[in-house]
Amino acid sequence: MRERLAALLRSAPALLALALLPQLASAQGNYEIQVYGSETLPAHSLMVELHSNFTIEGQDNTVDGVYPTTHQLHETLELTTGLNGWSEVGFYVFTSEQNGHGVQWVGDHLRPRIRIPESWGWPVGVSLSMELGYQRPEYSPDTWTWEIRPIIDKSVGRWYFAVNPALERTLHGPDVNQGFAFAPSAKISYDFTPVISGGIEYYADYGPLSDFSPVHDQQQQVFAVADLNVSPLWEINFGVGIGATASTDHLIVKCILGRRFDWGRHSPVD
Amino acid sequence: MLSRRTLLKLSSAAALSSSLSALAEDLAAPDLRLDIAAVTLALSPRHKLRTTAYNGQAPGPLLRLREGQPVTIEVANHTDHAEVVHWHGLFLPPAVDGALEEGTPAIAPGASARYTFTPAPAGLRWYHTHAMAMGDLSRGLYSGQHGLLMIEPRNNPGRYDRELFLALEDWSGYLSASEDGAMNPSYAVSTINGKTLGSGEPLRVKQGERALLHVVNTSPTDVHWIALAGHELQVIALDGNPVPSPRRVPMLRIAPAERVCAIVEMNNPGIWILGEVRKHLQAAGLGIVVEYADQHGAPRWLQPTDLVWNYEQFATAPVQEPPPSGATIVVPLVIESKFRGHGAMESWLINGRSYPDTTAEPLREGLRYRLQFINKSHDDHPLHLHRHSFELRSLGRSLDGSGSASAPYIAGIIKDVVLVDAHTQAEVEFIADHPGATLFHCHQQSHMDMGFMLLFHYA
Repeated sequence: MRERLAALLRSAPALLALALLPQLASAQGNYEIQVYGSETLPAHSLMVELHSNFTIEGQDNTVDGVYPTTHQLHETLELTTGLNGWSEVGFYVFTSEQNGHGVQWVGDHLRPRIRIPESWGWPVGVSLSMELGYQRPEYSPDTWTWEIRPIIDKSVGRWYFAVNPALERTLHGPDVNQGFAFAPSAKISYDFTPVISGGIEYYADYGPLSDFSPVHDQQQQVFAVADLNVSPLWEINFGVGIGATASTDHLIVKCILGRRFDWGRHSPVD
Repeated sequence: MLSRRTLLKLSSAAALSSSLSALAEDLAAPDLRLDIAAVTLALSPRHKLRTTAYNGQAPGPLLRLREGQPVTIEVANHTDHAEVVHWHGLFLPPAVDGALEEGTPAIAPGASARYTFTPAPAGLRWYHTHAMAMGDLSRGLYSGQHGLLMIEPRNNPGRYDRELFLALEDWSGYLSASEDGAMNPSYAVSTINGKTLGSGEPLRVKQGERALLHVVNTSPTDVHWIALAGHELQVIALDGNPVPSPRRVPMLRIAPAERVCAIVEMNNPGIWILGEVRKHLQAAGLGIVVEYADQHGAPRWLQPTDLVWNYEQFATAPVQEPPPSGATIVVPLVIESKFRGHGAMESWLINGRSYPDTTAEPLREGLRYRLQFINKSHDDHPLHLHRHSFELRSLGRSLDGSGSASAPYIAGIIKDVVLVDAHTQAEVEFIADHPGATLFHCHQQSHMDMGFMLLFHYA
């Protein structure tokens, strides 16, 4: 997750290392690279998603006991179930695979989310996600983190816009006293056909709200992405991202493959 | 021989007489009056809605007209946008049918218009705005401009003790992403006769009565399934026209603009719910309490487990041989949609074109036509032909191999709206016996707005 990337950068030893060795600036994270839309899953359904992210060019060295990111493959299993027409809860299992370390469990997160019901007739979709979780110190010095993620989106004709101005806070770890950090993300895409959409996703971490980090130490990533809308039951997204600052992994490829399962009674009267 | 002076005098007198006659006609009070104006409706104690309606109520007043007896209805438009009233299911000239596309004049904001016509045919009709909404989900059929219209027959053959008029309505529309990948209207509240279930007065009946239900689906876009718990409904008419084979059914399926008349034997005393069979729509309010005299307690609902309906059961016995087609002109109408983005409603095409670019060969008076609806889209469409009735001939022939590749020919069901399922073909026949511009369209407001209309002309 991106908050771990930010958390590591905010840690003092890491910053020292970054100052001395800019090529080490890339930190770990990138377990779930996704700009959220405001929709929530309907009740009696489960979305199973696999996020696969491979860092082609990232941090090459171990920094403060944290493994390098280059050639790390992150597989994240996300399970989300709808609670009712306006809320859902998600659960994540993060893993990392790398030469010399094998497949490692990294941590877990829990993410409840609520939305403004469509029937309220708001001009934009709005929801609010809260994410609480743990990750092992080998992958993030800040082990317990909390994220508040407002989500605003809008579809206009063939265009889709989404903004996630997320706030992240460390609950346990070196950055516990830094307060909330600002980690926005955004997406703009265009429907070329009913099935194929393409666009740009932007991810950033500006550092603590009270005192933004220098640009050198900020996270700035841009992905060229494609979405395949083959069925309401499937979610397929893939992209290639580049890091624009020294503190960001420089080249990442990502893929999200999701399948929705419905259960319960399926009588037409239901 | 007339002198020039005498001729002038006579001409002046004639002109004066004509003018006075016209003036007298103008001054004569109309038989009925409708006022179109903004109103706040209390759909329930929790739901208040600002909309536009007739005479301050939704549904508008029940109009009872006598078949063949001319009537003048004055309509005053107190809104800030042009309006027009369509008299749905009547055989009227284009000038008063109530469709701008046919040539009915719009009623300008603040203006009034008079619709003078001779009501026909007899049966349950309705009236509603025929203005476009064009994405504004407070205009057109999304508003409260609808009402029931009963054309009384010269001789009423029905045997019933009580008539109950019911308008099914959907309110507070909003666009949401649907599973076909486009935006479609959904509704926050649904009602019967302007009230959510339990909010209005119950329908009061007595044991042993035969109640005649007249049900109209006024929804802008949605089909509804209606049942009366504890009772069967004997369907006697569709779209106001008697069916050849009345049948008892557990529920009614009513597409937008369709009407069903059904007799209910009130032989199961209690307090019952008449409402939407689908749970989420009944929960949204689409229901009404039916209360027997001297009965008390909470309303009861018996949940059906399936949706059951077909038109064919009300037809005459299936016609084994295809009807003669030599004298019938077949008009294929291929229905397709066009993707405009996941954030937009689809546009609609008839034979590859959207209104106003849709075209058809001119109709010739007196000939019989077979409209062949080839629905290649993912949606079911309630298709409506203005100013005429048609006879259902075949329904449900699968176009994509998922269902039956053939459909029996049927006869005897006369309607003006037919629901054509997605990926199927249906056929109806009508005789071109009402010359003048004739509008054909899908009765989903969103589909009309997005081009699903075709104007037939007579040669």
